[in-house]
Amino acid sequence: MSDTTQFRVLDFDCPTCASTVERALSNVDGVQHVEVHYATGRVEIEYDDSVADPDAFAQTIENQGYTPQPA
Amino acid sequence: MNIQSITQYYRKHRKAIVTATSGLLYGGGWSLGYLTSFEMASAAILVLATIVGGYDIAKTAYHEVTNRTLGIKTLVTLAAIGAIVIGEYWEAAAVVFLFSLGSYLEGRTMRKTRTALQELLEMTPDTATVRRDGELQEVPAREVEEGEVVVVRPGGKIPVDGEVVDGESAVNQAPVTGESAPVHKADGDEVYAGTVNQEGALEIRTTGAGSDTTLERIIRRVEEAQEAQSPTESLIDRFAKYYTPAVIVLAIGAYAVTQNAILSLTLLVIGCPGALVIGPPVSIVSAIGNAARSGVLMKGGEHLERAGKIDLVAFDKTGTLTKGETTVADVEGFGVADDEVLSLAATAEKKSEHHLADAIVDAARERPIAATDGGAAVAQADETDASLQSIPGPDDFDVVAGKGVIAHTKGTEVVVGNRALLEDRDINVPSRIADYVREREERGETVVHVVRDGDIIGAIALRDELRKAAPGVVTALQDVGIETVMLTGDNERTAAAVAEEVGIDEYRAELLPEDKQTVIEAYQADGHVVAMVGDGINDAPSLATADVGIAMGAAGTDTAIETADMALMADDLDRIPYAVKLSKATRWNVLENVGLAVLTVTVLLAGVLTSYVTLAAGMLVHEASVLAVILNGMRLLRH
Repeated sequence: MSDTTQFRVLDFDCPTCASTVERALSNVDGVQHVEVHYATGRVEIEYDDSVADPDAFAQTIENQGYTPQPA
Repeated sequence: MNIQSITQYYRKHRKAIVTATSGLLYGGGWSLGYLTSFEMASAAILVLATIVGGYDIAKTAYHEVTNRTLGIKTLVTLAAIGAIVIGEYWEAAAVVFLFSLGSYLEGRTMRKTRTALQELLEMTPDTATVRRDGELQEVPAREVEEGEVVVVRPGGKIPVDGEVVDGESAVNQAPVTGESAPVHKADGDEVYAGTVNQEGALEIRTTGAGSDTTLERIIRRVEEAQEAQSPTESLIDRFAKYYTPAVIVLAIGAYAVTQNAILSLTLLVIGCPGALVIGPPVSIVSAIGNAARSGVLMKGGEHLERAGKIDLVAFDKTGTLTKGETTVADVEGFGVADDEVLSLAATAEKKSEHHLADAIVDAARERPIAATDGGAAVAQADETDASLQSIPGPDDFDVVAGKGVIAHTKGTEVVVGNRALLEDRDINVPSRIADYVREREERGETVVHVVRDGDIIGAIALRDELRKAAPGVVTALQDVGIETVMLTGDNERTAAAVAEEVGIDEYRAELLPEDKQTVIEAYQADGHVVAMVGDGINDAPSLATADVGIAMGAAGTDTAIETADMALMADDLDRIPYAVKLSKATRWNVLENVGLAVLTVTVLLAGVLTSYVTLAAGMLVHEASVLAVILNGMRLLRH
């Protein structure tokens, strides 16, 4: 089953940073669609909940050097 | 302070601490080299400053490279490494420090833009007092079920969307509609989550809670609007895709030709079109956020940019310039009792959904029983109030769009309509009646004739009060050089009278709904950028035709929000000059930001290629221009 989750990242400091996080998230197993918006800091992830581990999303964002907050 | 809280503090302020440390080391290393002859020590400190400040940048650069995106952090890392390799330690430390400082400030200011909307969401309380099993319970607001009754004390915030079932109060709806004056609420009235109950206790039957409230829906739409790219933004994005690789090629080419490493590294530093990419979104996000807090929903940067070019605003008359509450002002019988005219008209209009019909039927209900139809009234299910008359329905009835109705009741034909309908049916209007009609129309009233079996037996004058704000709004638009036009289905004389009262530049009368679209298209063909203001439901086609469709009173209706480019949450005409001025300011702001960014890039490129600008100076100007466009864009938050 497909599910969606959202985060808010308030500390993006350049537009490319947002696209880098977008690429990194789309490489996480089971992720079907990712949108990361620099202007609003909103991260929306659509994933297959039988494959993906939602905890991995926040970790991935943190690994890139940003602070995810639940939206 | 224990270790744990120090670690927490460090994690929270990591960027600031790293930037400050690298800055201090940079200052120390530079002074040492400038004031003394300890060159080795100075170089070591400067390299340390580069490493401290550059570690996080390099880490992100690594992620950029592995994720195959080409960003400024990769370029800065390359430039810093290159500078150290060629022995320019001061340049390396300066680039890293200036970049850290710049991006720290960028992050901080962007956070303000990003949280502007969250203030709105925080208006909704976390808990609600619900009546369950006969007693009051405090539960999380998200868990309130539809149909449950929530109690809100005076001074409390309303936690859910719902309908008042008990109590009476004044509610401040500013968070949802932007209206500053509180609105009176009693039995049956709709209230919104996030609004403030100011006076009496209210009991509210929940219609939506949690994420299913008007406020949450509006905020979701506002965010979608902020994220939608405007034409300027997508143009710049396309440009940026080629700009960075082009500058890198230029850097390599420059090195091959000149063997000047500093020149090539400086090109890398300015290889990111920073201000150009960041400026327009910040302007648009700030403007949309500002509008949302004032009760205006802008559907996106594209609409905002178009709205900035508006030079003509067309208003629908009924319900927009006027209150949309039509009442019967006068009934005149010609050889027949006034009451008989009214009750016959009411019967004919009973099944019509036109707003004039409603007014006539309501007026007839409130009159004393008329002697005409022999009590043949059929009791209707909806007429439960004993003090009101019941109005019998017609045997059959036809609507002539924009003209009136033709009905049959008890063997007579009744026509209720305007002059056009009478002309269609070759009904002669005696001069006495024509005089009466003219006199009422010159007061801005709308008159319908009542015809029984081919003879005019009377006329009914209806009045729709102007909104108090209307003349001021028209003047405010004229003051900023915008033409104003009123579109109405009313006849020429009524329209002229209302137009004069409002002070509007032009009016178009006797328009059928589809004519309004044609009028708008004609203005567009004349080169005007047209905004159309209407209720968003009846006017949906003309709102869609206009360059910018503005719907009023949209808080409750999704249809209106759907069709419009801009939606005013309240029936607050005053927001129109505000929205138009904000759009114009936004358009200028975007142009300023693009202009500043292009100028910066051009000057930098010229400076670098003529060797006037080296690494550190290039970085300084680059970061300063980024901060300048962000701060300029954020001015729109407080417009």
